[in-house]
Amino acid sequence: MKLTKYLLPFVLFLSFSIFAGCTSTDTEKGKTATQTNDGKMITIGWPLDVGPLNPHTYLPNQMTAQAMVYESLVEYNDDGTITPKLAESWDISKDKTSYIFHLRKDVKYSDGTAFNADNVIRNFDAILANREIHFWMGMVNHIVEVVKEDDYTIRLQLDEPYYPVLNELAFVRPFRFLGDNGFPEGDATQDSIKAPVGTGPWVLTDYKKDEYALFSRNENYWGEKPLIEHIKVKIIPDSESISLAFENEELDLIYGRGIISLDNYSYLKDSDKYKTATSEPLSTKALLFNTQSGPLAELKVRQAIQYAINKEQMVDSITHGTEKVANTLFWDAIPYANIDLAPILYDSEKAQQLLDEAGWTLEKGEKIRSKNGQPLSLDLIYIATDAIQKPMAELMQGELAKIGVQLNLEGADVMVGLQKLMDDQVDINFWRTNGPPTDPHGFANESATSNASGVYEAKLGLPNAKEIDTKIHQLLVGTDEEERVQLYTDILTMFHDQALFYPISYETNNMIYHQYMKNFTPRASEYDIPYAQMDKEQ
Amino acid sequence: MYESTWMFCLKRILTLPFVLLGVSILTFVFIRFVPVEPAEVILRLAKVAPTEEAIQALREELGTDKPLLIQYLLWLIGVLQFDFGTSFVSKLPVAHELFAKLPATIELAVAAFVLILVLSIPLGILSALYKNAIIDKIIRLFSILSVSIPTFWLGFLLLYLFSLKFGIFPTNGKGTLAHLVLPALTLALPTIGLFVQFIRSTIIEELQKHYVQYAQLRGLKNSVILMRHVLRNAAITLTTMLGLTLGNLLGGAVIVEQVFSWPGLGRYLIESIINRDYPVVQCYVLIIAVIYVLSNLCADVLHRVLDPHLMTKGRRD
Repeated sequence: MKLTKYLLPFVLFLSFSIFAGCTSTDTEKGKTATQTNDGKMITIGWPLDVGPLNPHTYLPNQMTAQAMVYESLVEYNDDGTITPKLAESWDISKDKTSYIFHLRKDVKYSDGTAFNADNVIRNFDAILANREIHFWMGMVNHIVEVVKEDDYTIRLQLDEPYYPVLNELAFVRPFRFLGDNGFPEGDATQDSIKAPVGTGPWVLTDYKKDEYALFSRNENYWGEKPLIEHIKVKIIPDSESISLAFENEELDLIYGRGIISLDNYSYLKDSDKYKTATSEPLSTKALLFNTQSGPLAELKVRQAIQYAINKEQMVDSITHGTEKVANTLFWDAIPYANIDLAPILYDSEKAQQLLDEAGWTLEKGEKIRSKNGQPLSLDLIYIATDAIQKPMAELMQGELAKIGVQLNLEGADVMVGLQKLMDDQVDINFWRTNGPPTDPHGFANESATSNASGVYEAKLGLPNAKEIDTKIHQLLVGTDEEERVQLYTDILTMFHDQALFYPISYETNNMIYHQYMKNFTPRASEYDIPYAQMDKEQ
Repeated sequence: MYESTWMFCLKRILTLPFVLLGVSILTFVFIRFVPVEPAEVILRLAKVAPTEEAIQALREELGTDKPLLIQYLLWLIGVLQFDFGTSFVSKLPVAHELFAKLPATIELAVAAFVLILVLSIPLGILSALYKNAIIDKIIRLFSILSVSIPTFWLGFLLLYLFSLKFGIFPTNGKGTLAHLVLPALTLALPTIGLFVQFIRSTIIEELQKHYVQYAQLRGLKNSVILMRHVLRNAAITLTTMLGLTLGNLLGGAVIVEQVFSWPGLGRYLIESIINRDYPVVQCYVLIIAVIYVLSNLCADVLHRVLDPHLMTKGRRD
C-alpha cells in the first residue's frame, strides 16, 4: 500500500519529536532547574508532607520540621545531658514539685514579637486545655498549674515529684512555643494555628502541600545562625524514588532512619561516590512476646526462641552492617540503662534443651514440637510495608523450624498488629523503643499503664508484672537519685531475665551526602536534623 | 424507533444518580470491612490508650457510633448539599483538599491519554499494514512488553534510564513539561500496548472484508480506502475503549503518583486508607465514579455519531 510509505516516516518523526521536543526544553529547564547547584540552599528528601507546623499537635506534623521552627525550654543532648535553651537556667524546689524557669531575655520570634512569660503561659494553657491528647507524656498528669512569677520567670507546679520533667519539656512536642501572632481565635491550637511563628533558626517561607517546604534562615535568631541560607524539604513518598533523586543530584543529602531501604543505602555507600555517616544508636528494634496466653506464657519458651536465632548473622545480612546487634533493650548511652546484663547468645542446643525441659517435645516422625497434644505454633505479625521486618521474620521462621517451632507469619499494617497484640490474638510483634529524650522513662510509663504501645498487655503474664509496675511508679515519682538508679537496674534486669523482649538491633540515622557538601556529624535524634551545621564547599 | 442523541444523553444523565448511589453504598460498606476502626487509629496515632470509653467518646465525635444506615443517610444529605464531610485526620473539609489535588491527577491522566492516542494509532496501523514484517514483530514485542511490565517497575525503569543514565528528565515533582513526561508515559504504556494490538487486529479484520475489495475494484486509492473506510469502521469500537480508558487512567494513577512524587489524588487516597479516613475515601470514589460515568457517556455519544446504525436500530428492526 502506498500509504505505508508515508506512515512509517510519520510515526518515526512523531515519536522522535515527542521525545526530542521534551528533551530540548528539559535539559535547559527540567533537569538543571531541579538539580541542586545552588550554593545557598540544601535540598533534602522526605517521605511525608511537613504538615501544618503546629507545635502543639502530632500527626500529620513531621517532628523534623517542627524542630526547625520551634524550640523548647531545655535541650536534650546526645550524651543524655540536659542544657539550657529558651530557659537560661532553672531551680527545682526541695520537694521536687516546683520548677522555676528563668527565660532568656534576648529571644524574639521570627516575626519580631517578644518571647516572654506571658507568651509561655499562653502556650502552656493552650496545650493543657487538651490534656487528654498528651497523657502519654507522664508530666501532663502531674501539672497542677503554670504561673508567671515575673516577665521572664515562670513556675511549673506539679502535684507530686516526677523526675523526667526536663526530658519531657525537651521533647519536640507539645511543649514548644508559638508566637502570639500564630495563635488562632480562642487559642484553640489543637485545631489549627494561624501561622507557624517560632523562635527557632528556620522560618517557613514557601510551601506547596505534598510537593515541598522551603525554610529560610531566621534573621532574628538569638543563637548561632545556620551556615546555609535555605533548606528545601522535597516530598518524595517512595524510598526508591528518594535514592534515584539523590543519585540524580536533585537532592543534596538523604538523612534519617528508614528513609531509604538499607539495601539502597549500602548500594550507594559501596559505590564510593558519596560521603556516608551513621549516627550513634537512637532506638532499639526488638520482638515483643505476648505472655498473656499460649506457649509464650512460659519463660523457657521465650528464652528458647532467643537462643535459637543466629542474631549476628541475621542483622548483618539484612541490614548490611548498618545496624549494630542489640543484646539489651537499651543502648548504653541511654540514661540509667548502662547496666551489666548477661547477653543471650546463639546456642541452638540450649534452645532445644530448654524446650525439652518445658515439656515441649518432638515426637518421632514429627517436625513440630508439642505438649499435651498441642503443637508449638506461634503467630508473628510484621508490618507488611517494612523492608526489614519481612526478611527478618522469614529468617526467624527458618531458624525456629530447625528446633521444632512453627512460626506463622502475617503481614499487616501497624494498627492491625497493635490491636491484635492488645486483644491477645497474636504471639509476637515487632516493637521499637521511642529513643531519647523520652527513654527510658517513657518506656517505663508505657510498660506500667495501658496505652497504645502494647507492652502493658504483653507483660500481663509475667509472674512479677505487679512488682514491675510498683517499681516503675516509685522511680517516676521518687526524689532520690541513687534509689532511682537502683530501681531502673531492677526493672531492666527483671525484663531481661523474663525475656519479655528479644532485642534485635540498634537503629541509627543513616546519612548520605554528595562530595560537594562539607562534613558534619549526624545526631542520635529522631527529630533534630543538624541543619545548622550543614554547608557546601565553595 | 429513532432516538435522538440528545434524548440518549438525557436518559443516560438521568441514570447517573442511581449509579453514584450504588457506588457510594458499596464504598460505604466495603471501607468498613478494613480492620481497626478510625476512632482507634486516631487514638493510637496520638499514643492515647484506646480504652473502650476513649474509643466510644471519639466514635461519638466522629459520628461512627450511629447505625450504618443513619451514618449513610447523614452523609448523603451532606453530599446533596455539596458538603462531603470533614477529614477525620486533618479536620479540614474533604472536598477542599480533594478538589485541590484533582487538577494534578487530571493533568497526568490527560497527558497519558494524549500519549495513548498519538502513539497507539500510528503504531497499530503500521503494525497491521506491515503484518508479519520485521517492523510488525518489533511493534508487537513492544506492546507485549508494555502490557506485561508492572507499573511501578516500569516507572523505576524509565527513571533509571531517562533520569539517571541519560539525564533528560527530573526524577520527581511537578511543574514543567519535563516533569510530566515520565509519569504520563508510565501511565500510558500498558494501555498503548493493549491498543496497538487491538487496532492492529481490527484493521487486519476490516481489510479482509468485501467492501475493501469492492472499493479496490472501483479503483479507489488505497490511502482513501484506509482513511475513509477502514479507519472509520475501526474507530467505532476504539472510541468505546478510549472512553473506558480515561476512567482507568484516573484510577490507575495511584501507583504512578507514588513513584514520581506527583502531588495528585492517588497519594492522598493511600494515606487516607491507612488512616481509615472514611470521608476522604468516600468522596474520592465518588469523584472517580462521576468522571468514569461521564467519560463513558462521551464515548457512547461519539460512538453513535460515528455509527449512525445505532440511532436507527429500533426502526430498522
